[in-house]
Amino acid sequence: MLKILFPSIMLIPVTWFSPNKWLWTLLTMYSLMISFWSLMWFFSPLNNPMFINKYLYTDQLSTPLLILTCWLTPLMIIASQNHMINMPINQQRLYILTFIMLQLSLILAFSAMELTLFYIMFESTLIPTLIIITRWGNQTERLNAGIYFLFYTLMGSLPLLIALLTLQAESGSLMMTSMPFMTQIYPTQTNQIWWVACFIAFLVKLPLYGFHLWLPKAHVEAPVAGSMILAAILLKLGGYGIMRISIMMTPFTKDLVFPFLVISLWGIIMTSSICLRQADLKSLIAYSSVSHMALVIAAIIIQTPWGFTGATILMIAHGLSSSMLFCLANTNYERTHSRTMLLARGMQTILPLMATWWLLANLMNMALPPSPNLMGELTIITTLFNWSNITIILTGLGVIITALYSLYIFLTTQQGKMPEHLTAIYPTFTREHLLMNLHIIPMCLLICKPSLIWGMFT
Amino acid sequence: MNPFALAILLISMFIGTMVTLTSSHWLLAWLGLEISTLAIIPLMITDHHPRATEATTKYFLTQATAATLILFSALINAWNTGMWELKELSPLSSNMLSLALMMKMGLAPLHFWLPEVLQGLSLTTGLILSTWQKIAPIALMYMIFSSLNIQVLMIMGLLSIIVGGWIGLNQVHLRKVIAASSIAHLGWMMIILPFSPHIMMLTFLIYILMTTAMFLSFKIFNATQIKMLTIAWTKMPVLVALMMFILLSLGGLPPTTGFLPKWFILQELTLQHIPSIATVMAISSLLSLFFYLRLTYALTLTYSPNTVNSTIMWRFKFNNMFYLPLMVVMVLATFLLPLTPSLISF
Repeated sequence: MLKILFPSIMLIPVTWFSPNKWLWTLLTMYSLMISFWSLMWFFSPLNNPMFINKYLYTDQLSTPLLILTCWLTPLMIIASQNHMINMPINQQRLYILTFIMLQLSLILAFSAMELTLFYIMFESTLIPTLIIITRWGNQTERLNAGIYFLFYTLMGSLPLLIALLTLQAESGSLMMTSMPFMTQIYPTQTNQIWWVACFIAFLVKLPLYGFHLWLPKAHVEAPVAGSMILAAILLKLGGYGIMRISIMMTPFTKDLVFPFLVISLWGIIMTSSICLRQADLKSLIAYSSVSHMALVIAAIIIQTPWGFTGATILMIAHGLSSSMLFCLANTNYERTHSRTMLLARGMQTILPLMATWWLLANLMNMALPPSPNLMGELTIITTLFNWSNITIILTGLGVIITALYSLYIFLTTQQGKMPEHLTAIYPTFTREHLLMNLHIIPMCLLICKPSLIWGMFT
Repeated sequence: MNPFALAILLISMFIGTMVTLTSSHWLLAWLGLEISTLAIIPLMITDHHPRATEATTKYFLTQATAATLILFSALINAWNTGMWELKELSPLSSNMLSLALMMKMGLAPLHFWLPEVLQGLSLTTGLILSTWQKIAPIALMYMIFSSLNIQVLMIMGLLSIIVGGWIGLNQVHLRKVIAASSIAHLGWMMIILPFSPHIMMLTFLIYILMTTAMFLSFKIFNATQIKMLTIAWTKMPVLVALMMFILLSLGGLPPTTGFLPKWFILQELTLQHIPSIATVMAISSLLSLFFYLRLTYALTLTYSPNTVNSTIMWRFKFNNMFYLPLMVVMVLATFLLPLTPSLISF
């Protein structure tokens, strides 16, 4: 654990003391080295929790998320070079410093042994994210987006704090490793509020349809790195939290779970339909995240081993593919200075290689066969079908609409006639192609050995 | 002001609080409160501004009323029990006394004087008023906590948290915002007081740390309104970046120090099987967080257009006296949370 944490902490002095010329290069190299070293966490021959100490540990569920966290930091640094190029050098350093803070708190959140530490770190991610969104966003609306982001999350998570403290008062311990052995808490009348309090924080974070209004705002206003980390990892904190906490809450009862299940299934249809009529590219990708996360919520709430497996796979796969889509949207944004899709059509003719990445990213997003997304979605749909046959109508419709809007993105941005005002844009950078490759290569490698991201039930 | 007069005033303010802290006799406790109140009044009116006069008058009237109530309840207590000891209190006099002390500190619904008074003061006097002048009443509350009425404390505390959050929402004056924040924090202290006075003391210490850090930074920027904060980054960019953490710490966001007292208080309340009140408190603290967040927006997260063409103000003079205390207080007010285990153990 410390082999990753200490190098991550040492990123801070590197940020401050590296020479101006080498700032971005050094940090990319260094954080990439950390992320390669973090692959070591995958090695757990006994499928047991590993690297245990009094405060931190990793297991099959948290390992893929931890490695994704470490992987995203260099990608964020690569992606935001162009965004920060006109800023004073000290502000560039501060900007990178927020990424490092975010990486540190995310590592501690995913590897926390105690639920209290998890909660504190879960909340600690708010401040760096808030800074990224509201300090380095582009429009004035970013301030509103920051308020939405902070207050939605806190409104949900403060009851969770009380619920955790109550649990600690009753059971005496909040250790994750001992939670399966605790007496399970059955949903009596008094405990029902406690149950909802435990859930609602994570459902807001994921987000569940109905609690999702902060997400499109935050995504639209955040700079590219903010959108990447938000879609790739911060949403997954919610899924991770539900999976951890629901160990204690088996079995769920109808009146508690059905509302959430219905809303999430309905949310799949609703949010993907919203995607079909979006004019704003980043908002579209944000809504597509909401619809994918709705699948994750449904799978986790049903609480079967297959459901957990599918949810874990989809979280990782969606983390990579949505982050890639945001990077692609940013390449367009940096050239046309607009998120509106109608203003950036026919890009294939001027940026042909970029069109390949668009195609691949969209195919991943709609879950075409050789992608881990497909594996996750199939597992989840099977779980839901097994639970109730009728759900196939909703999930099937969701898959169709997902395919529709993925194609819609691709056709609108890449195909067709190119507007006149786009002829003067500059060509793609090697940096951008590298960025896309660093998203695609892990996806291709993961599908070769998917058991790495199967989660708790390998 | 004449340095001798200033010295006498500051020393008697100190002595007044000390007399209250060390007394075991109600008359002495009252005497100490009076001495420190009377000592700060000339400080408040140093600059003869109509607002300062108004603030001083309001402060004097409320404090005198509260002090009279304290003396009265102590007398009634002495009449009933025959003792002047601080510990023993009959229910009637304890209720009256707690109301009087709350009036002295400015808890809702006895808080109306506080924003007005703070608004009329200079930032240094405001700092003294909102930290040092609260020590004596808090210490008295601490000493008599066992005979206090839980319902009164709960109602006043909860009301203060909500009202403090509420009145801060539409303020543009920083000192009124600080008053609102003080009301809300005192509410948290009053709620935890009957259950665990030690946590109350810890909360109070951390409140003092955070408020001092905030006041000193405003003093450096010489800012009294939100709009003055927007150009603060031209004066001292590093402090502006750090101020954000102090403000969020006041709002109680982890991983800053401000989360520590909130965490302990909520934990103690759930241990006492009142999670419902704990939830209400936690949610109402979001009201306060909103105006702290608005301050951070003005201060750190946006760069207002600047008429001066340079980024750093030319020949900007600081008062060097503030640097060291500010640095110490700032570190303590933001990054104390990892030290929680050692705080619990002692």
